[in-house]
Amino acid sequence: MTILNVVKEHFWGFLAATGMTLQLTAVSLVLAVVIGLLFAFLKLSKNRAANIFADAYIGLTRGMPLIVQLMFLYFGISSILVLSPFWAGSLALAFHAGGYVAEILRGAIQNIDSGQTEAARSLGMSRLKAMRLIVLPQAFRRAIPALGNQFIIGLKDSTLVAYLGVPELFSKAMTAAAANYQPFETYLVAGTYYLVLVMIFTWMVNKLEKRLTPHRQEATL
Amino acid sequence: MSVIDIKGLHKSFGDMHVLKGIDLTVEPGEVVVIIGPSGSGKSTLLRCINFLEFPDEGEIRVNGEPIDPKKTNLDKVRQHMGMVFQQFQLFPHKNVLHNITIAPIEVKGLHHKQANAIARDLLEKVGLPDREKAWPSELSGGQKQRVAIARALAMDPDIMLFDEVTSALDPELVNEVLQVMQELAAGGMTMVVVTHEMGFAREMADRVVMMADGMIVEQGTPEQIFDSPQEERTQAFLGQVL
Repeated sequence: MTILNVVKEHFWGFLAATGMTLQLTAVSLVLAVVIGLLFAFLKLSKNRAANIFADAYIGLTRGMPLIVQLMFLYFGISSILVLSPFWAGSLALAFHAGGYVAEILRGAIQNIDSGQTEAARSLGMSRLKAMRLIVLPQAFRRAIPALGNQFIIGLKDSTLVAYLGVPELFSKAMTAAAANYQPFETYLVAGTYYLVLVMIFTWMVNKLEKRLTPHRQEATL
Repeated sequence: MSVIDIKGLHKSFGDMHVLKGIDLTVEPGEVVVIIGPSGSGKSTLLRCINFLEFPDEGEIRVNGEPIDPKKTNLDKVRQHMGMVFQQFQLFPHKNVLHNITIAPIEVKGLHHKQANAIARDLLEKVGLPDREKAWPSELSGGQKQRVAIARALAMDPDIMLFDEVTSALDPELVNEVLQVMQELAAGGMTMVVVTHEMGFAREMADRVVMMADGMIVEQGTPEQIFDSPQEERTQAFLGQVL
């Protein structure tokens, strides 16, 4: 069984590369949430210039293929600012996902009944406190399914960073397949790693959603 | 000194001229009930009092201080005014106790223990001593509204504003909320109440204010308004609702 041979030979190597994939994904998604939240606020702002800036960013990140953004950030920016492949990859992934996260969060924030903000303000909370204590927690909870979805896409998008030479899972698989002439078996094994990661991740997201929801939320306001 | 003193208040939403020159004062300990047909501007007036809406024209003084919404720290002004909404607006991600303690802790900087003690005391007052751990979604409408009243009272306000607080309730739940409001009024709380509950207005009001088309048509004691209304608009309105 050639597939068993592939597993035997690459199990630990792939597992180590999976660690790199997870680092890339984690760093880029944390950054994406920070960027996304910032641009969600810019888009919700009453300042016209802020709206245009946010629209431009969201349009750019959603309008260009990720691989182009990756190459641009790594090779294009390197003439001004030298970035390691890992950071160029993480930043590009974050920059790309940030546009989607911004739209997810903007929608979630807008969907919270404005009466919630009014109730908070009527108790003397500042605009910022009302946002932080009352609106955002509810918006995040409602955004979990969409954010989880975006995170799964982010995990899979991290494969493209292989083209910058980051030793993550997909780049390891390409190297292995080129060496052992068994692309079918090798990519099948690598694909299974991703599948398992996504399954674990989905389970975690569901768990989180349940934890933050159960009977606690009102269906209608 | 009046708690609230309004002079020449105007408010428009686009082309809709909702408030057309309102003059109104509320004295300490007074219960003012505002009645009138839908669309007469009652709720907008109430929302202007704590600046959820900014007046276009006119002056509002709170405890004698003239308020300029653009310059005054409104958060400070609102700390002294409790408001209860038609749709309850409890915070669904906080349990009953936290709904009540969040503002005292976060706004006033009270210690948890202090805030919890205040909250438990108020829950007792509104008749829900055993529901502090419940989630808003587990409460009936009447219970939600009583928690909302407790939440507003926890800030120890000088005045309470009630915006049609029984309108979203099933008929059999209206009384438990009105009862809490009655106890509050009897305890000397200054209150402005927008309501369609004429029984409450007649029984509890020190003064009834009749509004129509963005203006105060007539005001007086419940006896004056309900038993011998002077204005045609008041007579017509009361004829419909009583």
